[in-house]
Amino acid sequence: MDLSEAFELFLILGSVLISARLLAPYVAGVYTNSRSRLERVFAPLEKLIFRALGVDALRVMGWKEYFLSAVIANAFAMALAFVILMFQNFFPLDPQGFHGLSLGLAFQTVVSFGTNTNLQHYNGESSLSYLSQMGAIQFLQFSSAATGICFGVAMVRGFITGSKGLGNFYSDFVRTITRILLPFSLLSSVALVWLGVPQTISGYASVIGIEGIRQTIPVGPVASLVSIMQIGTNGGGYYGANSAYPLQNPNPATDVLELYLMMLLPTCLIFAFGRLLGKKREARPLLISAYSLYALNLLVAFLAPLPSAQAPGIEVRFGGFLSTFWTVTTTSTMTGSVNASLYAMNPLAILSAFMGMFVQAAPGGVGSGLAYMLMYVLITVFVVGLMSGRTPEYLGLKIGARDLKLLMLAFLIHPLIILVPTILAYVSGAAAAVNAGSGPLGLTAIMYEFASAASNNGSDFLGAAANTQFFNLSTAFVMLIGRYAPLGLLMALSGSMIGRKRFFTTGLDTASFAFSGVLVLSVLVLVVLTFLPFLALGPILSYLRGMVNGFG
Amino acid sequence: MASSAERATEGPGSAAPRGRGAKRDLTAELGKSEMLLDSLRGLNPLSLLSNPVMLTVEIAFFLALAVALYPQAFGRLASPDGRAFYVSVAALLLLTVWLASLTEAMAERQAKMSARSLRKMEAEVTCRKLVTVGWERLSTLVKSSELRKGDVLLVEAGEMVPIDGEVIEGIATVDEALVSGESRPVRKAPGDILIGGSCVTSDSLTIRVAANPGETFVDRMIQLVETSKRPKTPNEKALSVVLLGFTAIFSIVIASLLGLGLALGLSLDIGILLALYVCLLPTTIGALLPAIGISGIARLQKSRVLAKSGRAIETAGDTDVILLDKTGTITVGNRRAVEFVPFTGYTERDVGEAAFLSSWHDDTPEGRSIITLAYERGFVPRELNALALAESSAFSAATRLSRVKLVPSKGFLVKGGLGINQRERHRRKSFDAAGEIEELEILKGAPDAVKPLAKKLPAEFDTIVDGISGSGDTAMIILKNGIPLGAVRLKDELRRGIVEKIVSLREMGIRPVMLTGDQSLTAERIANEAGIEEYIARAKPEDKFRVVQSEQSQSKVVAMIGDGTNDAPALALSDIGLAMNSGTQAAKEAANFVDLDSDPAKIIDIVVLGKQLLTTRGAVTTFSLANDVAKYFAILPVLFAASEPALRSLNILGLSLHTAVLSALLFNALIIPILVPLALRGVPFRPSSTMSIFLRNFAIYGLGGLVVPFVGIKLIDIVLSTLAGWVA
Repeated sequence: MDLSEAFELFLILGSVLISARLLAPYVAGVYTNSRSRLERVFAPLEKLIFRALGVDALRVMGWKEYFLSAVIANAFAMALAFVILMFQNFFPLDPQGFHGLSLGLAFQTVVSFGTNTNLQHYNGESSLSYLSQMGAIQFLQFSSAATGICFGVAMVRGFITGSKGLGNFYSDFVRTITRILLPFSLLSSVALVWLGVPQTISGYASVIGIEGIRQTIPVGPVASLVSIMQIGTNGGGYYGANSAYPLQNPNPATDVLELYLMMLLPTCLIFAFGRLLGKKREARPLLISAYSLYALNLLVAFLAPLPSAQAPGIEVRFGGFLSTFWTVTTTSTMTGSVNASLYAMNPLAILSAFMGMFVQAAPGGVGSGLAYMLMYVLITVFVVGLMSGRTPEYLGLKIGARDLKLLMLAFLIHPLIILVPTILAYVSGAAAAVNAGSGPLGLTAIMYEFASAASNNGSDFLGAAANTQFFNLSTAFVMLIGRYAPLGLLMALSGSMIGRKRFFTTGLDTASFAFSGVLVLSVLVLVVLTFLPFLALGPILSYLRGMVNGFG
Repeated sequence: MASSAERATEGPGSAAPRGRGAKRDLTAELGKSEMLLDSLRGLNPLSLLSNPVMLTVEIAFFLALAVALYPQAFGRLASPDGRAFYVSVAALLLLTVWLASLTEAMAERQAKMSARSLRKMEAEVTCRKLVTVGWERLSTLVKSSELRKGDVLLVEAGEMVPIDGEVIEGIATVDEALVSGESRPVRKAPGDILIGGSCVTSDSLTIRVAANPGETFVDRMIQLVETSKRPKTPNEKALSVVLLGFTAIFSIVIASLLGLGLALGLSLDIGILLALYVCLLPTTIGALLPAIGISGIARLQKSRVLAKSGRAIETAGDTDVILLDKTGTITVGNRRAVEFVPFTGYTERDVGEAAFLSSWHDDTPEGRSIITLAYERGFVPRELNALALAESSAFSAATRLSRVKLVPSKGFLVKGGLGINQRERHRRKSFDAAGEIEELEILKGAPDAVKPLAKKLPAEFDTIVDGISGSGDTAMIILKNGIPLGAVRLKDELRRGIVEKIVSLREMGIRPVMLTGDQSLTAERIANEAGIEEYIARAKPEDKFRVVQSEQSQSKVVAMIGDGTNDAPALALSDIGLAMNSGTQAAKEAANFVDLDSDPAKIIDIVVLGKQLLTTRGAVTTFSLANDVAKYFAILPVLFAASEPALRSLNILGLSLHTAVLSALLFNALIIPILVPLALRGVPFRPSSTMSIFLRNFAIYGLGGLVVPFVGIKLIDIVLSTLAGWVA
């Protein structure tokens, strides 16, 4: 990384921070029912939706109802997408005449997109119709991103002084889509189209190339899908090669824009957290920790020599810097889109990617990242905060045995659903079936698959090769558990904060810089202690063996 | 006193068998061998059920033992050549569990020792029990253990009060040094409470036994502590959940490593894996957690405070507001009369004599100090002989008045049994002056209480009163037949060290609030001197309840002190209530702490102890977890050495592959006894703000916890590898 690249990095992250800070009042306002300038557009639309759904958008829900509503709504969305994917050849908008997906792949795909993971065991350009891309994939990308944000916001609501419940899921869900995701995607789609990303439903283009051979160019509604996939930290691309594919990410300008979009909402939600709470200072430790951990990931990745632009798996138009930057960012935000092959990455960059997916909160996926960061804050406040000589409390709420039960469970589900399936993949021979050996590279690929599924990230080494029964089913279950179990536990925790006695005292100052530093250290120690032996057998071993990338 | 000392050695109820000497015997009785036995009993897996961390270590020990005995049974996971290694791993694991249970046994012993030293009914004494037969009282000698509640005893000068009781007849001075640490003998009159173990130094008392032996209030509280089935405090429960959580996480890690090793065909060694497992487990805090809790109660007992629950001690650490009674806490015991200030037209003698009369029946320390002052100045009134027949109403906090009304009479009567010696002296002195006296009513009270009762107010009334209270003293006005004669100046003195204690309270972010019955000017002076910003003047006992209530409604944790029956509701309501042992039974029942020394300033020490307990738990937990990083770096390279030689570069400490695992395990075990003093005494605590306490401890135990094991393991490894070199 040279000076101009460092400048580029700071410019991108600086503009993310500035715009996230500027957008925060608007985003927070969506959840406090504030009027926006476009109220005349949004309000009638939302009213119509609420009437059609028959829900009372003002009724406040407890955590169980909120969580169950979300799960049921998600299940409905997944079922709908499942039908489209299974029978896409019976529906319109299938100019290429693709067949329906197999049962296992369709199941894995809807779970993958319904849980905001977007782990793709298919190549979009050669297997999905336009309807599937728009009606199943994009639809789930909107609904899963909205659900994630709802979880994050609901988690925060439990901590707001005087709140009566976690809010109304339907209202939050609809407003997230109408007021945040749709307008943001619309704007960025326009920008992407202007920068050269295709947006059409008129069928694949057939042209004669400069070599004089007739080629089929797979075009479609790409720009709209790419914008929501980045904004909603989804990551599932239109094409199998994702943003490495020239039509999805044609030039460095689109690459930088897509990078920016990945970081925007997760960062913005941290600022919004402080505003929702009514204590803007409290967003500080979350932001500092998220960005410090992210910076650490970047640092580790950039420690190794960057791959050259001509290296296998690297796109010439991006080069080593943008590819590595993207890889770290996509795993720190749980987006999972890629602009280079993971095999092309230095083992240290893969180590960073693992760390991002193990932490899940640097800054993490939309909404879920916020929830996980709060989980770390609470664990830290208890374990380390005891040393302040007072019963540990966060925002004046004392943390008791039941809270810690929920917190520890939410934390330990993650290693469990990564490590156990990894071992199963080897024991069952499924790993061998996808040519993953027992060496560090094979282990990295397999463990990455489940780390990606468990953290709802979606990037992977295996790609369409993992379209086997074992991987379709195992990753589907890991994604479901990884999505709903920890967040459900955290929602239960947040729900139990409602009406809890608050102590307004001069206890531990959780908004201080000192606490932010302690938080970073404690997250690192927690995650390192849990995963170090496995990282040692995977990327660390690759690095120590002197490998520069996955090809050797 | 010489004669009473002689009697003490031969008479019934002699104090010789108990006291400090007796305590030493008890200490010996609770010997070290019993502690060792206890620690061995702690190895029983069933007794480890409440400590999942140590239970897991013990299970790991049995596994290691199995590997050591039959390495063949573990196939690829163990090599028969490694038997010596497996034996040492098993031994170190057992050592870890034993050190943990030894620590707990040590803490139990500490608690039991301090509890037994507080027990009062250990030594048996003979005492004189009074039995009324017809019109006659007969005294019989009985053993103190045979006493029952309601029995009536006669205790004479030089004898020990065998058990808690209430004075029903007589006035005497009693030395409570043995039970309360108060060296000055106190005067006891009918209605007063006597604490078992105190000594009557003059005169004699008839007392009614208040409780059966072994069932006194203090006995019951000590029993609560002694029963080892101590309920966990909320923070201990929460911390146990965390430890269980980490145990689960590391179990997942180790099981996955084992599974992955088998699946990938790595040659992992089960002995090393078990060693890694135990090193990762939070064994340090798991071993010390029970000891920390027990030592808290023990340390409290050492400072002669009884806690009704560990929970209360913990809550004390969260105190936001402390209500401090001015008298006794901030100022020395009681106010002392220092001057008689007459109004125009009267002399100092007029005021002094009237004050003397009004104070004769006033048993409060202030009253007694007025008598002393008047007596020193020679202001003994001639009406003295009429006092015995006088109607009097004692000083009460509610009216803040005391009244004495003398009726015309000649001569006097002395009631039987009432402080004869003292009265005799006064009588002889004033005998010549005795004569006919007219009807006389003398009132003594706080200026604002007396004001409405005065027939006429002298012009300088307010100036004098304000002058006295303006200088921080208290004025008492003397009214003779409704005419104000003058004022008595009562002086307050701050207790030694109280200013420093208030400063440390403020540093910890705790708000002291002073309560006093005095008027605002006086209260303000004292509060300023002591460095307290908030005070409540003219407070009545029921005001305490109101203050506690209003602070709690603002979500504050309130600590307070009380001794009277009318303090009981507030004591019960407050989060931390400290009752004085000299106080009433109701107050003691309502409080969650009882101070045997009846020193109210100890509330501050209780708060510090509560904070220290929480801090110690947090510090050891953080230290324990931070240690794991270094242990990974010590053991992982050895674990993977055979199958992945490239990972040897993780051996950043340069440990010898043969001794690294044992070094880490040894460090893991030895850190327990090294930290025992920390657990038993608590982390050094300097009162300061919550945030600076936190950061200081984080630097020491968090960052220190990351670094120390690197150094420690390296040093142990150097020793071990040198030893191994000699053996080979």
